[in-house]
Amino acid sequence: MAEPKKLICMKCNKELELKKTDFSYLGHTFFTEVPACPLCKQVYISEELVKGRISEVEMQLEDK
Amino acid sequence: MAYNDLVADCLQNEPAFCTAVCPFNFDVRDFVHKLQQGRFNIAFKTYRQCVGFPGIVIALCEEPCAQACILKDKGGSVSLKLLEKASMDFARDTSPDQYNMPAKDKRIAVIGGGISGLACALRLAAKKYQVTVFEKSASIGGHLHELLPSEVFMDDIRSQFIHEQYTLRLNTEIVSLDELDFDAVYVATGKGGNAFGLSPSADGAFASTKDGVFLGGSLTGSDTMHAIADGLNASNAIETWLKIGMMNHPVTEGGTRLMPEAVRPGESPVISPANGSSYTKAEAVEEAKRCLRCSCDACVRYSPLLGYFQKFPKRITEEVQVTIQPSSLDGNATLATRLISTCDHCGLCKEVCPKDIDTGEFLLQSHKTMREKGAMPWAFHEFFLRDMAFSNTEAALCKPPPGKAEVTYAFFPGCQLGASDPQYVMHSYRFLLRHFPGTAMMLNCCGAPAEWAGDGAIHAEVIEKIRANWNRLGQPLLIFACASCKLMFGKHLPEIKGEFLYTIMARKGFEAASRFDEVTASVFDPCSSRHETEVQQGVRELALKAGFTLEALPLEKNLAGCCSYGGQTAIAHPPYAANAVKQRISQNDKPYIAYCSNCRDIFTAAGKPSWHILDILFGLGSETRPRPGVSERRNNRLELKQMLLNEFWKEEKTMEKPQERLLVTVELKEKLNKAWMPEQDILSVIENCENSMSKLLDPEKGTFSGHGTVGNMTYWVEYRPLQNGLFELVNAYCHRMKIEEV
Repeated sequence: MAEPKKLICMKCNKELELKKTDFSYLGHTFFTEVPACPLCKQVYISEELVKGRISEVEMQLEDK
Repeated sequence: MAYNDLVADCLQNEPAFCTAVCPFNFDVRDFVHKLQQGRFNIAFKTYRQCVGFPGIVIALCEEPCAQACILKDKGGSVSLKLLEKASMDFARDTSPDQYNMPAKDKRIAVIGGGISGLACALRLAAKKYQVTVFEKSASIGGHLHELLPSEVFMDDIRSQFIHEQYTLRLNTEIVSLDELDFDAVYVATGKGGNAFGLSPSADGAFASTKDGVFLGGSLTGSDTMHAIADGLNASNAIETWLKIGMMNHPVTEGGTRLMPEAVRPGESPVISPANGSSYTKAEAVEEAKRCLRCSCDACVRYSPLLGYFQKFPKRITEEVQVTIQPSSLDGNATLATRLISTCDHCGLCKEVCPKDIDTGEFLLQSHKTMREKGAMPWAFHEFFLRDMAFSNTEAALCKPPPGKAEVTYAFFPGCQLGASDPQYVMHSYRFLLRHFPGTAMMLNCCGAPAEWAGDGAIHAEVIEKIRANWNRLGQPLLIFACASCKLMFGKHLPEIKGEFLYTIMARKGFEAASRFDEVTASVFDPCSSRHETEVQQGVRELALKAGFTLEALPLEKNLAGCCSYGGQTAIAHPPYAANAVKQRISQNDKPYIAYCSNCRDIFTAAGKPSWHILDILFGLGSETRPRPGVSERRNNRLELKQMLLNEFWKEEKTMEKPQERLLVTVELKEKLNKAWMPEQDILSVIENCENSMSKLLDPEKGTFSGHGTVGNMTYWVEYRPLQNGLFELVNAYCHRMKIEEV
């Protein structure tokens, strides 16, 4: 997997770090590690993650 | 009749016409299917299993199937007897199956060693019952001696009994049943034979008036073929008696409710054997392929949904019912959720069903139930509901006629016509005002997206608003440009009457702006015009008058198929929608003339040249004009409203078009269209990121990224702020999963 790109939170002027983040869809919740601001917790979800795992799980839950 | 009763009455499993008249109820569809694949061995096994004595049956069957065959007058009935013979000739192994079962202690007497008694004995012996056949003469075979050389039928009898044991008592006449000590008796003493004072009972198949005694064969009036079938079937009735002590084994009902008009059409000349008497392998396969394997499958052949899933109404109903009322342990196994959302509600399933089974309406109601339970994924319809809300607020307009004319009509162009091209509506309204100066304007959505989404509350709100506007305008007659709108009005606002713009134009003898004398095209009727014969005719008249030569499509008028827009299935089931479009545009190689802007737009996007009839009449877009994307469609609606207000009501109003502040490359626009992401929504997310400073800097690229929700959807934007409040959009994508931010 490619090295996560460097991103700076403009609110806190902090570099994003990997952090456990919760997601929910259709009454189900799960978590994964994504880059987030260590102070304000603002997250970043890459397009790669959206088109890959996220979209896969979305479809599985819709067809569950 | 209630839907469930109708489905119970479905003809899907009705026997083919040939099977219905066959003494053995032979499953010809199955047999022929095997032959069509050249599987002679398994085909023969199927045949032997059904008729018991294949050699005798082939020799003596009088082929009632040939009289019943649907191809009788269409090239000749399928030569079933020759096919049966071919299956025997080319089977790898014609010996009967050997069943390794434990011997049973029940004893059965068969009185009469004719073919009916032997058939019964064969089946019971194969199940390892202890069978004794009593024959008063010196040989078995009964009346077959009068019909066939004895070596023919004796060979067959010997072959079929090769693995079975039974006791044969020749020269033994039974005078009274009292002399027998058996658990069951099958009396098959032949025509005019001894019935021991018993008569058939109505209690069950082959039952006599005495418990444990069964009657069949020529004794009860059966001909040779039925006599064999009696023996085979009586074995089942006898087994019921032996197992549960009941004489009520069900009588097999013959006949079929299959209707010739619901069967796949076909016509082909019969294949005659080159040698005059029997088929070669190749001839047999060719003849088998002529067979239509008659069944009632019109819904699966015609309906895009049933065809795509290859499921009949019964199966769909079962799957939907367990989805609505799940019985799984966690209570949320929703097997058919996507299927329910895939129906385009074109009505074709009901149109072609000889029993009027309306699977589409059932799915619509099921969708509603799922939505009410909160069990339908919001993502399937949210875009369309938001789009409808846009049409009914920012882009909506309800105005009395310009000037002081008294209201007589109101033009209801619908939300999609102007979204495709605002000029469609502008030109149409000018035309209408020329002929009917009292024409008001009702520009909004008819509520179809809410109905398709199963959202009763939103739908009711839209309908009430339309009703209020109509009342406010003085209850005018409506002029529709979209067949779906008219259909929705008929269903939910039946008090509002109206007709089609195109019918009026045809009636007024409208001259098209340009000529198309050398062009052959096909009129593509929208599915919602299925029962609107007047507009179907009107559009054809207009096209012919413009010089077109028209070529009829295989599916047109009452058989029109949906372009894929109906039901708005494109988000819930993209492969289905793509497949539906492909089917529609592959009907011929001629350009289409549509009178639904969705049909036109979808077809041109898929590469099929298509005009809207208004393109032809007013000289507007070409048959290859690209389909406007999701952002452009919103923009067009705003522009239309502005143009209408400016031109007809002299209200100088400039509608704000937010996406003009967004710079997007053509490639990115295409990507946003495919993801159903309007630029207006993207801009609002960017602005929110800017105002809240909730944005992330990519120092390498110098771009900002941020996210925001649009409805339930999470949008991600990557952008560069430019001068004057403009933004360059670098990328955007979205997901359905919600980020649970702390």
